Amino acid sequence: MLGQEAQFREGQFQAIDAIVTRRARVLVVQRTGWGKSLVYFLSTKLLREQGAGPTVLVSPLLSLMRNQIEAAARIGIRAITINSSNRADWDAAETALSRDACDILLISPERLGNDRFMRSVLPGVSNRAGLFVVDEVHCISDWGHDFRPDYRRIVRVMERLPAGIPVLGTTATANNRVVDDVLQQLGSELLVLRGPLVRTSLRLQNIVLSTQAERLAWLAHNIGKFKGSGVIYCLTVADVERVTGWLKSQGIRAEAYHAGDDAKIDREALEKALLDNELKVLVATVALGMGFDKPDLAFVIHFQRPGSVVAYYQQVGRAGRAVDRAYGILLSGREDDDIQDYFIESAFPPPETMTSILDEIGARTGVSLNELLSRVNVSRSMADRALKLLEIDGAIEIRFDKRTVYYRTSAQWQPDIERTNRITSLRRAELAQMQKYVAHRGCLMEFLTRALDDPDARPCGLCANCQGRGFRAEVPAELVTQAAEFLGRVDIVLEPKKRWPTDLSLSETSVIPADFRNATGRSLCYYGDAGFGRLVRQGKYERGAFDDQLVEASAKMIRERWNPDPFPQWVTAIPSRRHPGLVYDFASRLAARLGVGFIAALVRTAEAPEQKLMANSSMQARNVAGTLETIERVPSGAVLLVDDIIDSGWTLTLAGWLLRKKGSGVVHPFTLARATARKTS
Amino acid sequence: MMKLSDESFALLLLCSHLGLPEIPDAKPLSTREWNKLEQALEAHSLNLPALAGLSVKQIKSTLQTSDDEASRISLLLNRGSAIQENLDRLNELGIWIITRLDEDYPRRFIERLNAAAPVLLYGAGELRLLNRRGLAVVGSRNIDERGFAVTEFVGNACAESKLTVYSGGARGVDKTAMNAAMVAGGNAVGLLADSLEKGVRAADARGRIEEGQLALATSFSPHASFTIGMAMARNKLIYALSDFALVIASDAEKGGTWAGAEEALKAGWIPVFVVDGPNVPDGNRLLIKRGGIPFPDAFGDSPSSLGDWLEEHTPAKEPVALQGSLF
Repeated sequence: MLGQEAQFREGQFQAIDAIVTRRARVLVVQRTGWGKSLVYFLSTKLLREQGAGPTVLVSPLLSLMRNQIEAAARIGIRAITINSSNRADWDAAETALSRDACDILLISPERLGNDRFMRSVLPGVSNRAGLFVVDEVHCISDWGHDFRPDYRRIVRVMERLPAGIPVLGTTATANNRVVDDVLQQLGSELLVLRGPLVRTSLRLQNIVLSTQAERLAWLAHNIGKFKGSGVIYCLTVADVERVTGWLKSQGIRAEAYHAGDDAKIDREALEKALLDNELKVLVATVALGMGFDKPDLAFVIHFQRPGSVVAYYQQVGRAGRAVDRAYGILLSGREDDDIQDYFIESAFPPPETMTSILDEIGARTGVSLNELLSRVNVSRSMADRALKLLEIDGAIEIRFDKRTVYYRTSAQWQPDIERTNRITSLRRAELAQMQKYVAHRGCLMEFLTRALDDPDARPCGLCANCQGRGFRAEVPAELVTQAAEFLGRVDIVLEPKKRWPTDLSLSETSVIPADFRNATGRSLCYYGDAGFGRLVRQGKYERGAFDDQLVEASAKMIRERWNPDPFPQWVTAIPSRRHPGLVYDFASRLAARLGVGFIAALVRTAEAPEQKLMANSSMQARNVAGTLETIERVPSGAVLLVDDIIDSGWTLTLAGWLLRKKGSGVVHPFTLARATARKTS
Repeated sequence: MMKLSDESFALLLLCSHLGLPEIPDAKPLSTREWNKLEQALEAHSLNLPALAGLSVKQIKSTLQTSDDEASRISLLLNRGSAIQENLDRLNELGIWIITRLDEDYPRRFIERLNAAAPVLLYGAGELRLLNRRGLAVVGSRNIDERGFAVTEFVGNACAESKLTVYSGGARGVDKTAMNAAMVAGGNAVGLLADSLEKGVRAADARGRIEEGQLALATSFSPHASFTIGMAMARNKLIYALSDFALVIASDAEKGGTWAGAEEALKAGWIPVFVVDGPNVPDGNRLLIKRGGIPFPDAFGDSPSSLGDWLEEHTPAKEPVALQGSLF
C-alpha cells in the first residue's frame, strides 16, 4: 500500500490532517480507487500512536472486508471483523478488543441491529474509539440509490459518540442532494472533501439491441476483442445464469456470481479467479458490489440497463482504475423497463402487508419467519423486507435463540406512506434520467459526472460519442439464430423437495420419505421468455392448446439431453378443472412421441385457487393439499409426471407423493416452463 | 416516556449493569456500596452530577478513598454515551427505569425496607399500580387442583374488592392469581425474578400492559435470567408492596415460598395469611404455628368482601420495619 517514495493523492493528506490533528468530522467524496482506505488506515495508525482507542469501521459488504483486512495487515494494523458469517470468532474478537489488541474493528451495518453486540460490545468500543468510519456513507441517505435501512442505525450510534471523536464518511457516488442529506444526518460541521469523479481511461458506449438473442450474440461476438478480464452485469439472477450458460457454450471462460445459494456459489473463489484473470468474464448481479477492487479490470458490460445513473456510474467505474484503456458498454433492450418497473413497485411492501405481518406478530409471543409465512400470504422476500423495516422502526424486535424469532414491541406503528411515495417518485425520476442517458448523443462521461454534480464535468474525448466510433451494434445473423436457439433450450433442473413446509406434514415426519419423493425433474424453458417461453404463454392463454413444436422440443430434450433413469414406462399429468384438456392433450401427444402410454392417474377433488396467487411456499402447499387424489390402480413402472408451468413445485411434490404411495415407480416430473420469480441479487 | 433526572441518570450509571460487558472493567455498585457512597456525598454536601464532573484524583481526595475505588467510580460515571443505546432499546420495549432518588419511586419500599430498598427498579406498565392497596399472593409453581381453585378464587376476589394482586409472575400460583384478577377486570403487579425483557415479550402480558391492568417490575437487569438468588431477593419486594399477604401453598422449611413467608412473618411488615384446610401442605400448618393467620380454603363470604375480611382478621399490631437504618 505504501512504498518508500509513496506520494499522497490529491486530498488524502488534507483528510488525514483534518482527522488526526483537528479531530474533525470529514466527508470524503472521491471516485472509487482514489485511495479512501489509505486515509483511514493511516489515520488509525497515527491516532493509535498518539494513544487513541481503536477505529470502528462500518462497511456494507463482506467482500470489501476481506481485501481491507489484508491491506491493513501490510502496514501493521491489527484488524478484526465481526459479522454474521464469523460467529465462531466473536468471543476471540471481544477478548482482543477488551485487551486493546485491535487497531481497527470492521463491522457490517447489520451488526448494529444485533442485540448482544449493541448491548455489550459496541458501548465498550465506541466510548473510547479513536476514529469512527462509515464506508459508502451515501447508504445513510434516503436519497441514495441504495439506501440501506441498517444505515439508519449508524446515525443513532454517531449521535452517541463522545464529543471529540473524529468521524470519516466516504463515498464515491454522492450527488449534491445525497451530500446535503448526509450532512443533515451526520451534522453540518462535516468537512466535505470532494474530488473529480471523471475516469480518464474509461471509454463509454451505449448500444440498444431490443432482443436478448441479439444481445447474447453481441456478447459472444465481441468479448474476445477486449484485452483482459471484465464483468457483465445483469438485472436478475435468472439473466446471470442464462448469460453465463450461453457464454460457456460459446467457449468463453465465464462464471455466474450472485447472492443466492451459498452452497453452489463460492463468491470468494469467483472474485479471486477474476482478480487473477483466470476468468474472461464474471457475470454478476449487483451482489458483486461495493468494495470489489480489481484495478486492471478491462471492461464492464451491462446486459441490461440499471435503474439509476448513480448505480450505473458505480458499477461501470470498476473498470479501468489502473489501466490506460478500459470499456464501459451499456447494452439495453426491451425488457429493461418492465424489470425496473417491477423493482420500483416491489421495493416497499404494501402497507396492508406490513400491517398484517405486524398484527400476526403482535398476536403471539415470538414468531419465526416460517410460522409467519404459513399465516400471512406474502412472499418470503417481501416478508423479509417488511420485517427489516418494522424492526428499524422499532415496532418489532428480532432475537436469535437457535432460530430467529420476531417479537412485537410496545412501540406504535403507522405506515409512512409519504416517505414511500417520495422514494418511489425519486426512483421513477432516476429511471427517466437513465433512459435519457441511453439516448444521449453528447459526451457520455460528461452526462454521468454532471448528473453526479461533479463541478469539473466536461467532455471526455474518449467515449464512443466523442470519438464518433465504437463497437458495432450489428452481429452476424447466424450467431443471433444460435442465441435464439440457446434461449429455447435452457433445460431447467427441478430439484425435488425434501421437506414438507412448517405446520403441514403429510407424512409422520417433516422430511418426505425418500421413497415417496420425486426424482430430479426438468423444465423446458422459462415462462414468457423469448423462444419456447413465449410459445407456452400463447398456448396457455391464447390458443388453448400447446404447439407441436413444444411436443417435439420436449421429446427431444427428454430423450437426448435429460434421459431420465429408469426411463418412464408411462406418462401422466396434473389434472386441472380450470383448463381441462390443455395439459392432458399435451401430455398424451408427448407420450405418443415418446412411445409410451398416457394414463390419467390423478384426479382433482376440488379446484384450488391458482397457485400463482399464493405468495409463499407454505401457502402454496396448503393450497394444493387435499385437492388431489389418485385412481385406484396406479401402474407400477417409472412415470413421467407432466404439468405446464411449475411455480412453487408443491403440486408436483404432492402428486408424486400420492403416486408413489399408490405403488407407482420412480416419478420424473417434467414441466413445459418454469415461472420466473425476479430475484435481483 | 423515560426522562431521568441528572441525579437519577448518574445513579443508573453507578449501579446498573446496562451497557457493561459481561466481565466489566468496573463493577457497578451494590446497594450497600451505594448507601455508603450516598452518606459520604451527603457528608461532603456533594450531589451525584457534581461527582461525575470530578477527575479520579479529585474523587479520591474528596471521598478519601482508594485509587481503585476512585477510578471505578469515575469509569462508571463516565459511560453515559455507552448506556444510551440500551436506554433507547428498553424504551422501545416499553421498559421504564426509576431510581430511589425519584419522587415516584414506590414509597413502601423505602418505608418497609429502608436501606435495603432496591436502588433501581426496571418496569413496564403503569407505575401507579405499585402504590395500590393490595394483596400479595404467593405459593409454589406446582399446586394441586384445590390450591389452583383457591388461587383463582382469590384472584377474582381481589378484583371484586379492588385489591391489586402483587405476585412473582412465575408459573403456578403467581400467574394463576394475576390472571384471575385481570380476567375479572382487576389489576396485577408481577415482581419478576426472571428477565423483564422476556416478560414484556409475552403476547398476553403485552395486551394487559396496554390495557393498564398489569405492571411488571424488577430490581435486576432487564435481561438477567432467573436465578434462585434473584427469586429470594425478590420475595421481600412482593411483601413490601402489599397490605396483606396470602400464602397458598408452601413446603415446610424449604423452598422460596417458605423462606419468603418466614422472612415476612419475622419482619412483621404486613399480616401474613396462610391457606388452611384439611389437605394443605405441611408448610402451611407450620407457618400458621409461627404466626400466620389461617385463611379458609373454602371462603364463605362474597368475593367482594375479601378486603374487609382481611382487614377484620388482621390482629391489631403495629407493623414494624425489621431492616432498620444501616446508619
